[in-house]
Amino acid sequence: MKFGHVFKETLRNEGFPSDWVNSAISYSQLKKCINRLASELAQVGLDPATLGTLLKQVEDYNASTQKDDDDRDRPFEYILSGDDSPSLPKEQRKPFHPKLLFYVDEKTGEVHSAKLAEDTRSKLQMLAVATGVSQLRVFEEPDNHSMGSEESTETRSPPNELNTVNGIRKRPGFRTVEIPLTSDTEFFATLTNQLSGLEALQEKEEKRMHAQIEELGKQVAHLTDPERRNNKKLVPVWRQIFQIYVESSIFFGTTERDHEAHDADKAGERFLEFSDKIAKEGLVDKFKKAENVNALNAFMHINREILQGLRFGEINHVAMLKILKKFDKQTALGVKSTVPTYIVFPEFSSHLAKAVCASVSSQIITHVPLLDDYSCPMCMELKWRPVRLRCGHVFCIRCLIVMQTNKQHRCPLCRELTVVDANAGNLDLELAEFLKRWFPDEVKAKQKYNELMAGVDQYGEVYKEKCSVM
Amino acid sequence: MSLSKRIIKETQRLAEDAVPGISAVPHDDNLRYFDVTIDGPSQSPYEGGVFKAELFLPDDYPMTPPKIRFLTRIYHPNIDRLGRICLDVLKSNWSPALQIRTILLSIQALLGAPNPDDPLANDVAQAWKQDEQAAIQTAREWTEKHAKP
Repeated sequence: MKFGHVFKETLRNEGFPSDWVNSAISYSQLKKCINRLASELAQVGLDPATLGTLLKQVEDYNASTQKDDDDRDRPFEYILSGDDSPSLPKEQRKPFHPKLLFYVDEKTGEVHSAKLAEDTRSKLQMLAVATGVSQLRVFEEPDNHSMGSEESTETRSPPNELNTVNGIRKRPGFRTVEIPLTSDTEFFATLTNQLSGLEALQEKEEKRMHAQIEELGKQVAHLTDPERRNNKKLVPVWRQIFQIYVESSIFFGTTERDHEAHDADKAGERFLEFSDKIAKEGLVDKFKKAENVNALNAFMHINREILQGLRFGEINHVAMLKILKKFDKQTALGVKSTVPTYIVFPEFSSHLAKAVCASVSSQIITHVPLLDDYSCPMCMELKWRPVRLRCGHVFCIRCLIVMQTNKQHRCPLCRELTVVDANAGNLDLELAEFLKRWFPDEVKAKQKYNELMAGVDQYGEVYKEKCSVM
Repeated sequence: MSLSKRIIKETQRLAEDAVPGISAVPHDDNLRYFDVTIDGPSQSPYEGGVFKAELFLPDDYPMTPPKIRFLTRIYHPNIDRLGRICLDVLKSNWSPALQIRTILLSIQALLGAPNPDDPLANDVAQAWKQDEQAAIQTAREWTEKHAKP
């Protein structure tokens, strides 16, 4: 199936909002542009085959010479934008003014380059001869002071000096001939226009989604407020959901082997795994009240929207690459590799998805503290009771008691001599309150364990057995 | 003695979030005993080799370091013929916040940066100091002979 068709189908069937579909890259319009350009080129004798041979020769030539040769012998050039440079910030860049140039020897009228095939050379010579007559306009390079008269064929630059004005090289003894084309300018104007449209759409969507996330964040904060009696049983449910969510790493990998942003397919797969797990654990059923179920649905909805945005960005990116490829196929001008250095495709995946995911975790998930963030680096259980050493690192009291008994005096994280002088004054009471409020079950279990181990310290291993008998 | 939460968590993470070039799998009948493999670091004489080791977590782990020993023969100034390793974080510089994965990474790094000034295998360290190129060549040969999977 042709890509144009696939693209259209995808836009129609993926359920994108209509303003998204309207902002998508108009593949067919650009395709028509390319067709017009191809016929413009054909009119001056430069069909794709001829141009292809020419540019191939240029490539071969470049490959066979040193880079610092400044490609002064290139017979042909397609300059995307004479007065543009990719290093300029986006706002300062000017629109595309593509130019197709070739160079003709002043005296012999030969196209510059000895490596041209006979028929190609004669074709171009004909073109050059025709310059004064009609279709081809002689392009007289402007010198540094004035713009120069366009009809003059005189080369004013002194010999042996290679000058670059507006990206066009002056070549002593050669005339630069520009082939007048209009459809390529139109093509690039349309394309850049659409890309900035896509960018604007993304900005709008990002704002909208941030508002949505903020709203849901407030709701989740309310639903999981540990001070509300009704929430007591719900906090662990929400915590489990968010724990699974974090572990599913839907949009970004967080492991050694997988640490990059995911594409829409992979993210979609992970998202399915996430919702499957939630279903399997029967977590939704544990929400008795509709407000919790609604909030969870809103959370799922936001994730689905990020996914959709990711997919939309991806197919548009593919559409752009495909249309540039088509451009090259029809004209052999070789823009596919040069254009991406001039225009930046507004990456949905690396931009919007990242920003939105960041606010999902900062505005929603933070309302429910996760156990991993409050576990002791030594026993990996809840830091109960929390002791803050002089160096600022926090561990559970049990592990520090063991360390002191073993005469291990240094902090396990920074090796400062801070374990040795820790005492009751190092208890972090504020953190203790926090843990008690958010992890009541874990605190109870750990408290029991700590007491048991204190008994073992005092009476030996038998203390444990005695306990189990009782 | 029952398995601590810490060991369970570490084992889980070793399986789910494996470190490239390193594996550690516990025995079914003793979850404190791990079969370890470490890939020789690239651009070292051990490149291309896969080195087997055994790792054991003592009862008071993580207060005391894991015990670890190479099973594959290796020509290295800090590893002796019994496979014992001379590495500070396995001895005096052990910290209870270190883990199996961080220790194995340190050992992999040690393969990439032999330290003949703090030797365990005296003869190897001697050879290393006298003629480094020849020693590296020997290490390469040993890798070829003993550590090819």
